[in-house]
Amino acid sequence: MPLWTLRGLRRGVVTTRYPARPDPSARLLPTPPAFRPDMLTPGLADRLVSVCPSRALARDGDMLVFDVGACTACGRCRAAAPQAAGASGEFELAATAREHLIKRIPLGGRPA
Amino acid sequence: MTVPSRGEVKPGLAGRPGLRDLLTGLGQGAADDQPVITAGVAAAGLEAAVRQIAAHPGARLADVFVCAGSPQTNGGPVTLRLVWGLDADRTYLITESAVDGERYPSLSEIAPAAFAEECEIYEQFGIRPAGSRPLNRVALPPGAGPDWPRLGRAPAEPPRDVHAPHHVGGHAFEFPFGPVRQVAVESLYYGLVTSGEELVDLYLFTWHKHRGVEWRLRGATPREALFQVERTEGLGAVGNAWAFAGAVEAALGIEPPPRAMAMRAVALELERLYNHAAATAALCQSTGLMIGQAAAEIALELLLRVNAAAFGHRYLFGVVDIGGTRADLDAAALGSDLPAAYGELERAAAALLSTNSFLDRLEATGILTEEAARRLGLVGPVARATGLAIDARADHPVRPYGQSRPEVAVQDAGDVLARFRVMLAEAAESVRLIAEIGRTAAGPGLALPPGAGPGQLASSGLGWAESSRGESLAWVALDDSGRITRARLRPAAVRNWRGFDDACRSQNVFTDIPIIEASFWLTAAGTAR
Repeated sequence: MPLWTLRGLRRGVVTTRYPARPDPSARLLPTPPAFRPDMLTPGLADRLVSVCPSRALARDGDMLVFDVGACTACGRCRAAAPQAAGASGEFELAATAREHLIKRIPLGGRPA
Repeated sequence: MTVPSRGEVKPGLAGRPGLRDLLTGLGQGAADDQPVITAGVAAAGLEAAVRQIAAHPGARLADVFVCAGSPQTNGGPVTLRLVWGLDADRTYLITESAVDGERYPSLSEIAPAAFAEECEIYEQFGIRPAGSRPLNRVALPPGAGPDWPRLGRAPAEPPRDVHAPHHVGGHAFEFPFGPVRQVAVESLYYGLVTSGEELVDLYLFTWHKHRGVEWRLRGATPREALFQVERTEGLGAVGNAWAFAGAVEAALGIEPPPRAMAMRAVALELERLYNHAAATAALCQSTGLMIGQAAAEIALELLLRVNAAAFGHRYLFGVVDIGGTRADLDAAALGSDLPAAYGELERAAAALLSTNSFLDRLEATGILTEEAARRLGLVGPVARATGLAIDARADHPVRPYGQSRPEVAVQDAGDVLARFRVMLAEAAESVRLIAEIGRTAAGPGLALPPGAGPGQLASSGLGWAESSRGESLAWVALDDSGRITRARLRPAAVRNWRGFDDACRSQNVFTDIPIIEASFWLTAAGTAR
């Protein structure tokens, strides 16, 4: 057992503030999509809704409703419409209220 | 039914006289050398057929399931299918029997491994084996009434709840544990029957995790279904998805390009590596070796990062697709990062194997015999640690395992230490296989080209893969439009949980249970699905 203690000490203290430094591996994480409103048309929005397996997307009139809390970052919408959906790069999605995770994106609106 | 040969050169039946005799005995004149053989057996002759197949050398009952005539069937005839692994013959044998009425011949009287499935069939379809043996609740929660979503009709009587009395024989009592347990482990209820320290008996409730996945897959296209299949058991996404995709490809008569199959194999071996590292960390945690746990978790984190760098997802979701793969391999990332990540695991394992206080907890703990493993139809490292050399990669090779054959790691002590040694040997073999398969993976294309339509429709197929927990099976039936009418998922966890209580009862004390659970490294999600 003393050898294990020494082994632990040799590796150093691992408790740090968060984040200790930007983690390069974070860029490898799949992240929810970011939509370009100017590229979204009603037809394209309907297609995106149909390819979303976790029902994170819905169309409400001239709005695309995106529930980030239901998104699994599977990438199907990005594959279906790369011109209108890209990776957001956001993976820290904690929110204080459920409704904060629901985004309403105007179809044909200005880019964010 | 015939399925694609998947690029394998298999011995003809001339070299397998025992199999020819078996098939002739089952009335199957049309012998072939396919990796899957389907035989129709009348319900009246099922008992004799099961005895005959069970006596065939190397035969094991791998799965039992029922298909209703249609999703709306409420009563009426159903089809009972038994999947046999004829490992010595490198073949799966499926028997199909039409069952009209509420009873079919008791299978567990002959093949004890079938009892869990008999219970599941009763819950889902309302039919039961002959005899009066009580059938247990296995998947649906208490209070699941007639309107609960089922694959068939509700049973006339609710299944029996397995509850040991809280006072057993005046000396033992039941210690309830779960379903909410420590940290972030899955929901699982243990009924531990003890006389104080030694474990007398144990039973499990896994239905807290039941999501009705097979019910949800009906009517979906295979690609839609794949999303849920991957999430049936998060730590087995590649193995289960490969088995499911293989089943769909067999039903459609399509064969993925060789490079896609190689990518699947690389992903499967990466999945095995990170699972075995996670099991090593869990073993350290269960034995109170915190620094060993940290060392194994460093290796685990590095391996998960290798997964993300190689395929774009830490848990390898989204790699397998119907007809190929969705993700391409970043070979450069794999070549540079995998040796370092595996080196961490190797160093941690070497230190653990020279720590007597750790090994003392593992040795002679949770013993399973080879006879028990065979009787219960166990698979994967749990079976191999008892001396049972079964591995779907070697016994039922699909491309690329026919060319890059794995060295099957076997131990014979059957205890936790044997399971740990098997996992370590498999991790080393996975690294070798990844390098070999990565070198030989050639040719363009990760998926079938657009327009490479289905070879046949309204058919069914069986798929399999050797996941980190053992053989994962899937069987799929499609309708004329290519939608799923029945999908049967049988991850390895479904098989191996039934050996867990046997292992726990073998003269173990309370504190051994977490160690045994870590060495099995199963998921509740996989069996509850």
